Amino acid sequence: MIRFVISLAIGLAVGLLIGLYLGWVQFPVEYVNSPASDLSLRHKDDYAVMIASGFLQDGDLEAAVDRLRLIGVENIPTFVQETAERYITNSREVSDIRVLVALATAMDRLTPIMEPYRQVSLP
Amino acid sequence: MSKRRTPPPPPTVPEQMPPPRSRYNRPRRIFSGWGLIIGLIIGVGVGLVYTWAISPVIEVSTDPWQLRPDDRARYIVAVTLSFSYDGNLNRAVERLLALQPRGEQQRDIFQDVADTTCQLATTGYVNSNSGLRAIRSMMTFYQLQGRTGCADTLVPAGDMQPTAVMQIDLPTPTLAPPASKTPTPISAPNASPTPAFIIVPTSVPQRDFVLANVATFCDSEISGIIEVYVQDFGGTGIPGQAVRVRWDGGENTFFTGLKPERGPAYADFQMDEGRGYVIDMPGRSDPSADSLVATPCSTETGERAITSYRAVFLPAS
Repeated sequence: MIRFVISLAIGLAVGLLIGLYLGWVQFPVEYVNSPASDLSLRHKDDYAVMIASGFLQDGDLEAAVDRLRLIGVENIPTFVQETAERYITNSREVSDIRVLVALATAMDRLTPIMEPYRQVSLP
Repeated sequence: MSKRRTPPPPPTVPEQMPPPRSRYNRPRRIFSGWGLIIGLIIGVGVGLVYTWAISPVIEVSTDPWQLRPDDRARYIVAVTLSFSYDGNLNRAVERLLALQPRGEQQRDIFQDVADTTCQLATTGYVNSNSGLRAIRSMMTFYQLQGRTGCADTLVPAGDMQPTAVMQIDLPTPTLAPPASKTPTPISAPNASPTPAFIIVPTSVPQRDFVLANVATFCDSEISGIIEVYVQDFGGTGIPGQAVRVRWDGGENTFFTGLKPERGPAYADFQMDEGRGYVIDMPGRSDPSADSLVATPCSTETGERAITSYRAVFLPAS
């Protein structure tokens, strides 16, 4: 009986470790119906690029700010500025940098590092 | 002769017989197999319950496919707005595929955009100019791919007028001071006459031409072409008119009438697939409100081609 109990305890311990690994690492819980504020930074950046492109298309800064509220950043101009600077620092696509810089410029957040990427918009 | 060893006879005396195998005389193992198996099953079960229900992984990096429906719709809006700017269909498709729930990669992403547009068009989202523009960008996106949705009938077609208010500071003519009651002394007969001050009224700059119509068509022989016609009031072509095409990182100017077989009004430009273009008559018209995007299309016979455009410039007034 003691042998069985000891084996059971060892099995429990090993099984628990396996269960924790499976549940936390291999097959973690995947949430659905998540708010956009929970998007990963990579996708928030991509969203900002899309909105900046839309801004260059229609020139509606108020709409761009309103659309960026979706991702739940506290200070939208600061977020746009930081995203543009991060894109420049990480040598991302020049076209993406340009649209972000254009939006940052419209938000009066043009910094020296962005200056080379500033472009004259279409009339 | 060889000797054959014969096996010993089986014991017949009970004392010489081996003891029967039983649970009491089997060699004892250190662990109980059943105990280990039962423990493992229970342990894995407890571990999964703990990690999935009691203390699941904290979500810090949601992917687009995990978004709730409202936010997912706004994400699609952003994708189509970006497409309307850069005309990069591949990138738009990649972004839309990231929105597809796992295991449902076979869904029609373009029809999905049409359905989302329909859903947004039935809400108050279209009450604002920005919302209406977004809806139209979505409609353009899925219509270019041959899809339809209820938004086609809910949202009226037509170009949006720019909402930006252009403030023009016109010079205000200075009015002459009112006549004073003091009698004006009679001037000397030889006084020189004051030159007359002529005020020339300043008018708002007028455009000579407007982009009256832009139509799309899909033809494998005329693939990815912008056909431009510049006409006068009577529909007669005007040769020698400069037409400019601009895209991300470049521009080109071409002139009407250089292909006489197509008439004096005609000029054309070959687009690159996936790129968006803005056309205008430099200094004589406003740029086109929407990009002309060179997206893939299928002809009536099923051939693959690139969408072509037919643009007509007419005198503004």
